[in-house]
Amino acid sequence: MAISVDSKQNLKVKTLIKCMQCDYTQERDFQVGDFVLKLVGNCPKDNGPLYIAGIYAESITPKK
Amino acid sequence: MNGLIIALAQTSSQGQSGAALAFSYIFYIFFIALLALSFFPGVQQKTQIMFLSRDVEQKLQMIEGYLKDSRGLTEKLLKDKGFADPKAFVDRIIDRFVIDPVSVEPTDIINRMKLLMRSNEDTVREMITAANPNIDPMTRSQIEISTEVVNALNLIYKVIRHYLIMAKKLNSIMIMYQLQMVAPIYVKYAEAYAKAQKVFLQGIPIGDGLGPLVASRFLMKADQKFTVSKDTIAGSIEFEGRKIVVVKAEGPMATVGTPGEGVQNVIEREGGRVSRIITVDAALKLEGEETGSVAEGMGVAMGDPGPEKIAIERVAVKYGIPIDAVIVKMSMEEAITEMRKEVYQAADKAIEYVKRIILERTKPGSTVVVVGVGNTAGIAQ
Repeated sequence: MAISVDSKQNLKVKTLIKCMQCDYTQERDFQVGDFVLKLVGNCPKDNGPLYIAGIYAESITPKK
Repeated sequence: MNGLIIALAQTSSQGQSGAALAFSYIFYIFFIALLALSFFPGVQQKTQIMFLSRDVEQKLQMIEGYLKDSRGLTEKLLKDKGFADPKAFVDRIIDRFVIDPVSVEPTDIINRMKLLMRSNEDTVREMITAANPNIDPMTRSQIEISTEVVNALNLIYKVIRHYLIMAKKLNSIMIMYQLQMVAPIYVKYAEAYAKAQKVFLQGIPIGDGLGPLVASRFLMKADQKFTVSKDTIAGSIEFEGRKIVVVKAEGPMATVGTPGEGVQNVIEREGGRVSRIITVDAALKLEGEETGSVAEGMGVAMGDPGPEKIAIERVAVKYGIPIDAVIVKMSMEEAITEMRKEVYQAADKAIEYVKRIILERTKPGSTVVVVGVGNTAGIAQ
């Protein structure tokens, strides 16, 4: 069994925005001032309130 | 020895010029002298100590680098927030300590520990507010975290330096060996702390925020939220005929709140008529385990030194309430730096675990307390 011990990762922080009424989702780069459950405008599909559903870091290291 | 040198000289002299021959003699003599020297008592040990200490000094320099960076960031933050003398403030806080309560007489040790820990937190908070009375809660929590990071890095640096100097003074290879073994682990800790400070200052949720993230998903549907203890909030929702009271630290400030006292107050308010307590928290994975894997068990999932955890255990014992635990696994670095996507995605799985526990182990009409344990930086409710 090959065990990878490489722990160095390049991370990019993303903010996931969702609509409270429909299935609209949008992912963008994190901006200072973002926090989970913050209301960030209205949905372009049904004008429902948009909120930040999650803030997370994704690895941008190219996969071998 | 002379015979050996002559023999070597005779062998090497065949077909060589004068200069090359002289060089060969010097080389052989030097080699043999070095070999002989290594058999003298103490020389080998001194050489080993020299190499080991060089390695430890290199690690210590790395820790010092993280400490300097962290201190610089803290001073810059204080300066930006209008502190008159940031350097003096950091100097005062960097060596701050809390003395453990007496443990040879354990009676009431939890209350004594709680008093000391809370008093320390309150004192630091008062020091910050005294230096800048108009500070907002978000910035204050960032300063609190920054001072904790500087304090922790300073402690790591000083302890490693202490043992390095002691090993050199005592010429102790055993201390040096132990130091060389643990130093890389402390470099990793220091690196994680330094990274964590930058993450906190931007208001990004950390891996340890998994519990509050799960709680916030439930609390989204709660009409009313109320403060149950210091920096801790609760709200109730209805789920499949059950009343669910959800407790979490008050975000999006960087705080863990006082979830133990919060749960205690909620259960007393309900008159003890609670069927189940479910704690959700991030847990350290073992090497080889996958980040974001979920597991369930019994007991209070909480990385607290004692007072908060025991508050839940005591109230549970008082009213005979079973305590379930749902944990999401991650490394120490992942727990205190940016929340990884795998951990974020695991929140959905953890919610499913919580819902299944409620449906399988409680009856309609009962009350369940769900606690999202962890630092709620960047996560509101």
